[in-house]
Amino acid sequence: MLDNYKKEHPQSVNQYMIVQLDGTITESDDVIYKNIVGENISEIHPFFESIHEALQEKNKRHVFSCIHLTDQNNQTIITDIVVKTFDNDKLPMIVILDLTLHYDNYQTTAQVRNESVINSQILELKNDYLQEKEAFKNAFIANFSHELRDPLTGILTFSDILKKTGLNDEQLNYLKVIDSSSSYLKQLIEDILDISKIEAGKLELVITPFDIRELLEDIKKGFKIKAEQKGLELITNFNNNLPLIVGGDPLRLRQVINNLLENAIKFTEVGTITFNVSLNQIRAQKASIHFQIIDTGIGIAEDDIEQIFTSFTQLNKASTYKGAGLGLAIAKHLVSLTDSKISVDSTLGEGSTFSTNINFKLDHNYKLKSKKKTKEIKPKSDKKYSILLVEDSEITQLSILKILASKGNYFLDIVTKGEDVVPRIEQSEFDLILMDIKLPNSYGDEITKLIRKMPDRDHKKTPVIALTARVFKDDLRRYKKAGINDVIKKPFDEDALLSKIEEYLK
Amino acid sequence: MKISKKIVLIGHFGVGKSSLIRRFVEDTFTEDYKVTIGVHVLKKEVKLPETDKDITLVIWDLEGNDDITNTRPSYLIGTNGFLYVFDLTRPATYEKLSNDLDYISERFPKTPIKVIGNKKDLVTNEFIKQNKEVFGRFVDFYTSAKSGKNVEDVFTNLAKALIK
Repeated sequence: MLDNYKKEHPQSVNQYMIVQLDGTITESDDVIYKNIVGENISEIHPFFESIHEALQEKNKRHVFSCIHLTDQNNQTIITDIVVKTFDNDKLPMIVILDLTLHYDNYQTTAQVRNESVINSQILELKNDYLQEKEAFKNAFIANFSHELRDPLTGILTFSDILKKTGLNDEQLNYLKVIDSSSSYLKQLIEDILDISKIEAGKLELVITPFDIRELLEDIKKGFKIKAEQKGLELITNFNNNLPLIVGGDPLRLRQVINNLLENAIKFTEVGTITFNVSLNQIRAQKASIHFQIIDTGIGIAEDDIEQIFTSFTQLNKASTYKGAGLGLAIAKHLVSLTDSKISVDSTLGEGSTFSTNINFKLDHNYKLKSKKKTKEIKPKSDKKYSILLVEDSEITQLSILKILASKGNYFLDIVTKGEDVVPRIEQSEFDLILMDIKLPNSYGDEITKLIRKMPDRDHKKTPVIALTARVFKDDLRRYKKAGINDVIKKPFDEDALLSKIEEYLK
Repeated sequence: MKISKKIVLIGHFGVGKSSLIRRFVEDTFTEDYKVTIGVHVLKKEVKLPETDKDITLVIWDLEGNDDITNTRPSYLIGTNGFLYVFDLTRPATYEKLSNDLDYISERFPKTPIKVIGNKKDLVTNEFIKQNKEVFGRFVDFYTSAKSGKNVEDVFTNLAKALIK
């Protein structure tokens, strides 16, 4: 029984040895290593080869903890080893304590701890790598789409100019194709930029009071024509009890509805598109409005519904329908900014219903801004205005030159480098400055700061309008702080440019 | 003439110290990570034909530690040379490289130290080029215990330094 107990409850065992200074074993109790007297300690295990130095010392006690040895049965034992030397002629003593059981438990704990630390370090690195990759992608998209804007501005403005040159019907038809292609390209760039803003967490709503019914009627007007062009009927039901003025982001609401309606028309070949808007709930300062778009299109399989809101996903892989697959991803995110969701109910081959409840603010103090009647703010026809254009893109220079020249009451001076702006302003007086933001080696907002610091008081008042694609909220704040009065977003067309200029030259 | 020298591998846990030794002594490698606790001691004879000497390296594989000042002093008694090993893929293992080397040099002023960036198979040459300054010290060898790259050279090089 005792033997069984010993096996079941083993305790550490010790071996005592006496060795000469050269390592020869003179005495041993043979508990772990047997019949070793006369051998050199170095032959037992390589560990002992390294302790010869310790054997030469006087009256020292060294403890080597957790040393892995191999016993005579070739089994690994984990030990503490004590090397004791003495003052007098007494020979050194070595004690081996077999603590395998104790250290096995320690090994298990250390294994778990180290693996966990290493895994978390690797995870952190992977996360850093993914963030860097994401940042690169976003910067790439932002820069790339920015670079596309200048040539697109050229296409849009010259297409407008070309229209007024007495073209025949065939030429006008060709021009329509150019118009439609450039509009599609413009929309694509806007969508890609929106997705990059969403992924960078920089897309925010700009809440302002607006007439929701007017906005819905406006959307209806545009899509009625689009639906009819495809042989579809657009049915709209806008509930009469909708509030007149709500607080929300009209541009982004329009974008959500546009994307859903575009999607419905795109994937419907026959039948109707129904656009319903009703009041879901109203509280003291909040209105929840229900939007529903029903189509009789190709429908979506149940398993695919989740995917349709992912960027660059179009389920119809056969490319029957054009598009980058960004519209629904953008719509979903915009709706999520109002703490809402878009739900989809669809049957393959029968059609789909997209619905969402969007929250708007209600405030009795809401007043609508008086609309800018740009047509009426024409500059005095008898006066000629001097405009300084700071722009390095030749296409944009030429576009603006052509647009302003067609009006006949502008002098345009062009500067292509940031460092030439202040000297030019010192030489001549300008009524307005059009300022590109991204110039070679400088930025338009920094140049504007210099203009505002010029000693002549008039320069502080000269309107500066930025020409840029960078219109994130942070950017707009920076422009304002620098003294820039307003922004014309690239790519722009003739109307956008003239209406903004005329607004500041009244 | 036979000479025996104690060399100690030191560095964070999981950097591949045991794998380097296993590759050098047994010419094997395993992907499985088994934590070293305490010390494993192995030895291998290195022939140095150019010096006409054979040297037995008694190699102490110390348990990894993220703070080498916690290394048990008894482990370092009689050390003739150090291999400081770090993991090229984990910055945490080389963030204190410079301080760690100073710490060793102060205590063992005449003892050779070779610095090893291990797991070379997991990084590109470009990565190494870009991070040389980040490592903070000259790295003697970039090794891969997995492929065996430079492993033999590390030990032979240190062996040569030990008999100078």
